[in-house]
Amino acid sequence: MNTPALKVNKLSVWFETGAGRLSVVDQISFSINAGDATGLVGESGCGKTMTAMAILGLLPASGVNVSSDCIEINGSDISTLNPAQRRAVLGRDIAMVFQQPATALDPVFTMGQQISEVYRRHTGGSKQRVRKKMLDALERVGFSQAEDIAASYPHELSGGMRQLAMIAMATVCKPAVIIADEPTTALDNSTRALILEQLNQLQKLHQTAILFISHDLSVVRQLCRDVMVMYCGRLLEITDCQSLFANARHPYSAGLLSCIPQISDKRPAPINSIPGQIPTPADLPSGCHFAPRCSRVEAHCRTTVPELDYANGRGVACFRPL
Amino acid sequence: MTRDTWQRLKCDRYGMTGLIIVAIFALIAVCVWSGLLGQGWSEVNGNRFESISANHWFGTNRLGQDILQRMLFGTATAFEVGLLVTVCSTILGTVLGGLAGWYSHGWLDEIILWFKGVLDSIPFYLFAAAIAFALQSSPWAMHLAMIITFWTTTARIIRGEVMRIKEREFIEAARAIGQPGLKTVFRHVLPNTFHILLVQGTIVFVAAINTEVILSFLGLGIHDGVSWGLMLAESSQEVLGGHFGNFIAAGTSLFLLLMGFNLLADALQDALDTRRAPG
Repeated sequence: MNTPALKVNKLSVWFETGAGRLSVVDQISFSINAGDATGLVGESGCGKTMTAMAILGLLPASGVNVSSDCIEINGSDISTLNPAQRRAVLGRDIAMVFQQPATALDPVFTMGQQISEVYRRHTGGSKQRVRKKMLDALERVGFSQAEDIAASYPHELSGGMRQLAMIAMATVCKPAVIIADEPTTALDNSTRALILEQLNQLQKLHQTAILFISHDLSVVRQLCRDVMVMYCGRLLEITDCQSLFANARHPYSAGLLSCIPQISDKRPAPINSIPGQIPTPADLPSGCHFAPRCSRVEAHCRTTVPELDYANGRGVACFRPL
Repeated sequence: MTRDTWQRLKCDRYGMTGLIIVAIFALIAVCVWSGLLGQGWSEVNGNRFESISANHWFGTNRLGQDILQRMLFGTATAFEVGLLVTVCSTILGTVLGGLAGWYSHGWLDEIILWFKGVLDSIPFYLFAAAIAFALQSSPWAMHLAMIITFWTTTARIIRGEVMRIKEREFIEAARAIGQPGLKTVFRHVLPNTFHILLVQGTIVFVAAINTEVILSFLGLGIHDGVSWGLMLAESSQEVLGGHFGNFIAAGTSLFLLLMGFNLLADALQDALDTRRAPG
């Protein structure tokens, strides 16, 4: 079997506080193969962004604790690197696309300067070579007038163009893995389709593995082959998109699916929502974290933690799956 | 960004007036430095206390030196002090303020703040006098006194701004592409304080010229050469005798240049304020 492009094993993130240990990401493991896109979905505050930051090693050193068995990119472990070694990997082997390109780009430099900086830092080369790579990266994300975009400041571009430029910046070194943290959330529908299309093409072109973080299952379905459902820092279900949409096995996944509004010519049904609220990390229920909101809850759901149980390539962490 | 700023500045009538005044004085200073103007400032080429004439536009002083020449040379002195003090104290203030802001609440921040607190607590003219006394032989004593004390304001402003900027997402993004921390300060944080530095720089420039005049008036400033402050010091005795040449020449120049700079600083602040909608 091939080495996966990104392999994460037993990643945990927690805070030590006076009141005890606040767990935000709890022992999650997954892997993504080269050329695959995997969605990571869940409600706001379930630990998606924390997972991304922990993989990149970008969480602040004080107050937050991170542990993992391994975080491998193409077989080499990046979780044990020292800061200087990690800086050499970030942007070159693994890159991040942020949710808000308006704030994630430096307002006082042109796009060309910022994209060149990434390439110069990791690969170097003559001025012409760096510039050519920068223009190539802009053209790959679909800009026909790359020169103009390179000369623009971030505030001169529209939201969608900024996000494309951000993707160009993330892909200029052709990293093996891209982590996209809700890259389409701030965009309108048609722009979103454009961004997804470009991500899809880049993924095929460079055999990049994409970890696509979103709270929107319908977006994940457009781009990703596999999907992971996260709740309160744990993965509840790992499966391919088609099976999830055809028959979700975890009650939480099913709940998420029923929350997607359907467009039909009939009188619209009321939009569903999952009853209850996400518990805060300070008072997580013991046992299955979803138990208090679950319709199929049993007595021992409240006391025992269900493990991710793999069968036929699908994993589900539930004692009474659908 | 620079284009927009220039457009906004151009529409500001007071700002442009200030810019033109400053530009004229700067041109005079450049001409003096390159030897085209004001070279006869120390020559005695008239009778003492001549009144205004075609030969001596502002008359002559008690030694018979041409006051116009001395005023022109004084312009160069003012710019020399202003530029040197502004550049040095701004660089010092930016670097120290940047480091303090980036490592805020760390030991480096504490040390820098401690230095700043100590320097701020000493009355400025006493401090300048002490340095001028300690470095009696040096022509740079006055410059040094100003640089050592003026950086604190710039550092305080930059420190606050850096603490604000470092929480922004593009700093996180710089880390996500593997940019080392200290390099990020100089490449991404400090360039974003440029608009503040420009305004603060003009304010320091005004303060430096002002202080030079006061220190020279007190005899703590320029020793070899002439400055508006020395001219005003001379005039304090002459005015009683009815000789206003020195007073008018130096006083008017000082007033015009400081007003020009203040108008410019004000207009720059408005033009660089990105929160204000253009037009």
